[in-house]
Amino acid sequence: MSTGSDRAAAGPGRRTVLLSGLGGIGVLAGAAGLGGCTSSSGTAGASGASAGAGAGSAADTLRDASGHATARAFRGERQAGIIEPPQTYAVFLAVDLPTGADADSVRRLLTIWTDDAEKLMSGQGTLADLEPELAAVPAGITVTIGVGRRVPELTGAAVPSWLAPLPAYKIDKLQERWSGGDLFVQVCANSPTTVAHAVRRMLTNMGSLGRVRWQQRGFREPFEGPGIPMRNLFGQVDGTVQPDVTGSESAMLWIGSAGPAWLHGGSTVVVRRIAMDMEVWDRVDREARENAIGRHLGSGAPLTSPADAPPTAAADLDAKTPLGFHVIDDGSHLRRARGDNKEKILRRPYSYDDAPEVDPTTGRMSGLSNTGLIFVAYQADPMTQFAPMQARLAEKDLLNLWTTPIGSAVFAILPGAKDGEILGQALFG
Amino acid sequence: MSRSTRALGARSVAASAALLVLAAGLAGCGSSSTSAPAGTTGATAAKSPAVATGPVTLVNGWVRSKDAMATTATGMAGDMSMTGVFGMLTNTTDKEITVTGGSSPVAGMVEVHETVKNAAGVMVMQPKAGGFVIPAKGTFELKPGGNHIMLMKMSGMPKIGTSVQLTLTTSAGPATLTIPVRNFAGGDENYVPAGGATTSMSGMTHS
Ligand code: HEM
Ligand SMILES: [Cu+2]
Repeated sequence: MSTGSDRAAAGPGRRTVLLSGLGGIGVLAGAAGLGGCTSSSGTAGASGASAGAGAGSAADTLRDASGHATARAFRGERQAGIIEPPQTYAVFLAVDLPTGADADSVRRLLTIWTDDAEKLMSGQGTLADLEPELAAVPAGITVTIGVGRRVPELTGAAVPSWLAPLPAYKIDKLQERWSGGDLFVQVCANSPTTVAHAVRRMLTNMGSLGRVRWQQRGFREPFEGPGIPMRNLFGQVDGTVQPDVTGSESAMLWIGSAGPAWLHGGSTVVVRRIAMDMEVWDRVDREARENAIGRHLGSGAPLTSPADAPPTAAADLDAKTPLGFHVIDDGSHLRRARGDNKEKILRRPYSYDDAPEVDPTTGRMSGLSNTGLIFVAYQADPMTQFAPMQARLAEKDLLNLWTTPIGSAVFAILPGAKDGEILGQALFG
Repeated sequence: MSRSTRALGARSVAASAALLVLAAGLAGCGSSSTSAPAGTTGATAAKSPAVATGPVTLVNGWVRSKDAMATTATGMAGDMSMTGVFGMLTNTTDKEITVTGGSSPVAGMVEVHETVKNAAGVMVMQPKAGGFVIPAKGTFELKPGGNHIMLMKMSGMPKIGTSVQLTLTTSAGPATLTIPVRNFAGGDENYVPAGGATTSMSGMTHS
């Protein structure tokens, strides 16, 4: 109907708005990635160079101007994929180590993945990649690697007490198939092809050193940018209130000298798969939906601000209705999640919208949707930052009427790899 | 204070990171191209560590490991006594170099191989007569299904994630390389020893 064509018409225009931002950098990085690197993996100098030049013309205008071809630095104090604005597409996966795993096999796996991540983030195929063209558009790709409790146990490094499953919450309906794991890989990029290829190469290169335990695919708004927010699939503007992790609140994100030596410059991640019951949500009117979150659906502004205020407008938690109730409901997600605002987490959520599961007894799809949020939160300590928040929300949060945590995992995010190092170098003493 | 993830701080971090990669990318990629300027030192960190000093380097080199666990699952364990080395042989000198063979602590025998179609239309590999000729300042590609270096008479497959030492015999002297080992499923052409297109080598496969 008219909305459909409106949206289609708006597409290019909106994209143009986004183009101005990172334009120059994107073009430069794109040129380096496509021209320089294709020739190294192509047949020979001359033909490789010309192939690169060809690919660098028309098709690149869009990607480059929008910053989508951008390559990112891999080496450094910290891993990428945490403080960058979240890319549009992501795969999160957990790997289990086989029964006979030891420090040596873990080190070999991290050796392989370090090299894979470094090459993929610079727009090159990995070793043994016969299709490096699929890596040639880096699309802002980041590869971020973490470990579960079993890894420091195997290598003899200090095991932090928080490196364990979260406490059980009464709202949880956790499934093994979405929970736990010995290693964690997050791959994010602005091209789903780039993500798919990177994941495939890393899992192929893993060989029998590990086995995939779970894999979750998520997406955000491809046109995200000024005036076009990330919305979760309840239509809520999501990811607004965040700690200032590049400034005064960076200690809430990164593990400092108080943590184990192998994690200095590292972090932690909590990955919760939260199902959203779209069919029950459908029965609720818009007022009730806004009351549940404490924000206007359209703008994402707090209910104490005008409906067209920006999402970043300050919420007035004391404001009351003429009848004496809080405007921002006592059970609203905003109020319950915020708490006393002492503990904070960096949220990097992605939506999922998979095919409904097949009912094994009937062989038919059950229900109309299999939809939710891959809730990804980074923090220095999950027990003192994430857990109190989650406990509060489990106790009372209107959103619980429609949301159910079905997966949960906690990992230590390794520090960055400096020159000549592998990720997790300090694990091996 | 709280603020949005899209705040300028985060974005400018990403932006300067992109600039860094730009510089690193150019240096790294240039080193493997035929037109690399003199004095370019091997690969940068973005390239694999399979590079050593000497007249010849191997950019993005890797040794194929047959993953015993994975292959037995599909009943294709294959020949565990030989495997291939791949990557971009790069001549760092301004004179043509010929690679004729080599030696390795993990292999009793090292040969330079080509892959050709035999009379029956089957792809087979065989020793390359005259060796691999790398032009001055040029490259020579080794890839599965094409030219490669063969590690033979091995006592077992090297483990993935480790590295293998290989010293090439070249017309400009020996060149020692350290080459990462990776998992790779393909590349099982038949092996035909020198001059023996009709020799039956049934059961012996290439890796
Ligand atoms: C499907 C489940 C969830 C949905 C749909 C959801 C949605 C939202 C939305 C729309 C906002 C307001 C905008 C913003 O600041 O981003 C928000 C805020 C927030 N959420 Fe969630 N959320 C979910 C689960 C969680 C969980 C599990 C936690 C932590 C345990 C959490 C912690 C927070 C925090 C800390 C805020 C900021 C509160 C503030 O200070 O204003 N959320 N969430
Ligand atoms: Cu061979």
